Amino acid sequence: MDQFFAAIAVLDDPSLRGKPVLVGGGGPRGVLSTASYEARQYGCRSAMPTAVALRLCPHAVLVKVPGARIRELSGKLFDILETVSPRVQPLSCDEAFIDATGSQRLLGPPEQIARSIKQQVRDELRLTASIGVAPNKFLAKLASDLEKPDGLTIVPRNTQDDPDAVARFLAPLPVGRMWGVGPSTEARLAGQKLRTFGDLQRCSIDQLRRATGGREHAEHLHRLCRGLDDRPVHGPREAKSVGHEQTFREDLNDPAHVRAVMLGQSEDVARRLRRKGHRARGVTVKIRFGDFQTITRSAVLDAPTDLTAELYRAATALFDKWADRQFRPVRLIGVSASPLTDAADEQPTLFPDPQREKQRQIEQALDTIKDRFGNRAAHRGQLPDKTQHRTYDPRNGYG
Amino acid sequence: MKVICDRGALVESLTLVSGVVVSRTPKPVLTCVKLSAKDDALTLTATDTEVSIHLSTPRVEVSEAGEALIPADKLQQIVRESTDPTLTIATKDDQTQIVGQDSRFKLLGYPAGDFPDAPTFPDDADFEVSAADLHRLIAMTIFATARENSRYAINGVLLERHNKDLTVVATDGHRLAQAKGKCKSLQDADRSAIIPTKALNLLLRLFDDAEQTVKVKVNDSQVLFATDTAVLASNLVEGNFPPYKDVIPKDGDKKATIPTDIFISAVRRAGLLTNEESKGVRMSFSDGGLVITSRAPEMGEAEIKVALPEYTGDAIDVGFNPAYLLDALKVVDENQVHLDMKAGNKPGVLRTGPNFLYVVMPVNLQ
Repeated sequence: MDQFFAAIAVLDDPSLRGKPVLVGGGGPRGVLSTASYEARQYGCRSAMPTAVALRLCPHAVLVKVPGARIRELSGKLFDILETVSPRVQPLSCDEAFIDATGSQRLLGPPEQIARSIKQQVRDELRLTASIGVAPNKFLAKLASDLEKPDGLTIVPRNTQDDPDAVARFLAPLPVGRMWGVGPSTEARLAGQKLRTFGDLQRCSIDQLRRATGGREHAEHLHRLCRGLDDRPVHGPREAKSVGHEQTFREDLNDPAHVRAVMLGQSEDVARRLRRKGHRARGVTVKIRFGDFQTITRSAVLDAPTDLTAELYRAATALFDKWADRQFRPVRLIGVSASPLTDAADEQPTLFPDPQREKQRQIEQALDTIKDRFGNRAAHRGQLPDKTQHRTYDPRNGYG
Repeated sequence: MKVICDRGALVESLTLVSGVVVSRTPKPVLTCVKLSAKDDALTLTATDTEVSIHLSTPRVEVSEAGEALIPADKLQQIVRESTDPTLTIATKDDQTQIVGQDSRFKLLGYPAGDFPDAPTFPDDADFEVSAADLHRLIAMTIFATARENSRYAINGVLLERHNKDLTVVATDGHRLAQAKGKCKSLQDADRSAIIPTKALNLLLRLFDDAEQTVKVKVNDSQVLFATDTAVLASNLVEGNFPPYKDVIPKDGDKKATIPTDIFISAVRRAGLLTNEESKGVRMSFSDGGLVITSRAPEMGEAEIKVALPEYTGDAIDVGFNPAYLLDALKVVDENQVHLDMKAGNKPGVLRTGPNFLYVVMPVNLQ
């Protein structure tokens, strides 16, 4: 997707169209998740501290896009992609590989499939996507970036008549476009006057090894500069853990406040576990301090769980064990559940707990309410009321 | 205080008591061991306020009675690293000197009076049991305890006494081990207590001389075990033990007799092809014998055949966690075990004679 988060902000607030838009966290510690193309002209980039971006582009509009909205549109996007092929490998919430090998008889040649995806995205999401069509994942990803925004790039195929079509297509591209080539490799290659894919294509593996210093790296470059990549497209990977973490505007110096945040996080984690039919066999608490020192504390649960109360109890037990002795102000707190098991694999217990069953029913009822009426429709009484915090309104910006 | 100690004996005693000592605590005195010299005996005391040990160390010569409270790990390191046959320990105020042939250590300690009182064994023991029996009862059950208490107090072992009968039970909610033994009753009262796992692990090491007799006293909040040379006291686990008798199945109508060693080997081998996602092994019992199969996704499958000396009842397929079976089979001291089952989704019961029983919940087989 093109500037996905920024595009959503513009979609929800058309007055932002044409303006430099920054999406990300505010405050002294906020980081950008996306900069619109207008903002990128000023040098703003994703993952840049918001404060730095605002210095580069003081008239940019900083907005926050609600997670629920992102999930909604991302869900719709993947619904569209899955009509093309069952082999969809997500890279992030707005980026995926699709293996359309088996879809051509039904949906036509690859270019037609790509156009149809772009059209559906425009019709149903009112957003634009850039697509690269190529014989493998490396080339497809590379191609999708070449003509952003709203791009469609078709990488030619090697044929018997033209066995070097891919190499010729790649030859003029700068080496920095290559997967695995960062600024330092790029500089080292430039020192050998190797600036484009074509330059690399003319090198032997030994020459590349001298240029990069590593045999493996050289082989990697040797293959990629010719567009060779045989990694398969695999479906979404099974989640290994489910977690939530939050960085605070200012370090929290009250353990009770941190615990309250952990309750909300435990609630979110437990809800996601229930949605996927997973149970947690362990809980990890992550604590980061003002100086960025980070500690984690983990515990194995006696019985796998997907219940908020049980996750919260285990998480706060870990937190309290640390906090009772050596509490200091907390910059970030996170609760995560791992490893995970399937609810169906759970070992039955000798002493079933009627309370626990009741609790599960209550939490499932809460899930249903939240799924239907939004996250704020119902929560535990101990949670700080999130509605008092600044919220983003599509019409009026920040409340 | 001044004592001359046999170094080897002291190393052994320190190793035993330091099992109690906590290394990280806001109370520094709890990292210490207390030495008390009196009447030609040196007693070492350690406590974490939940569990405490008194142990008198043999082969000492007391030249001046008294007490010392010094960091346990340092004392242990010094005594262990030394090569002298004997060491002299002398205390003046809070300072303790440990003197060998070519060495002199001075350790800064604490006033002995700062150490929490560790309970001493009362005169009226409830019952006596041989150390060997006590060992057996604990070893046959302790592995089944839970790491933490849930709504039941199961992070410990239930000890029940009725006259001369001792019953020891442990469970983590998925399996339950029960061992029975006899004791010599000294008091009539029937007692039951849940003893923390930590205390019992210490007990296994402390009372390892099978010839000894162990006196036991249970009161409302504590249990005490004593021999001539040592006392182990522990707070009890608070809370209720689950109603364990209700979950011991009595209606298993499919009964297999399995040679213990062959069963262990078969379960262990089938367990090789299990993983986190498929923890269970499938056991298919029939007149023809037992077939254990397992499957690990993306790895492979296993099939092990076991001939059964005896099987009665219809054929049955049931899945068990191999680790749970092995935990129990490892402590079994007979050549054959009996496994009673009712259905694939009902617990199985493993027995050896009248004194050991193990209930294990099945796992779902897909």
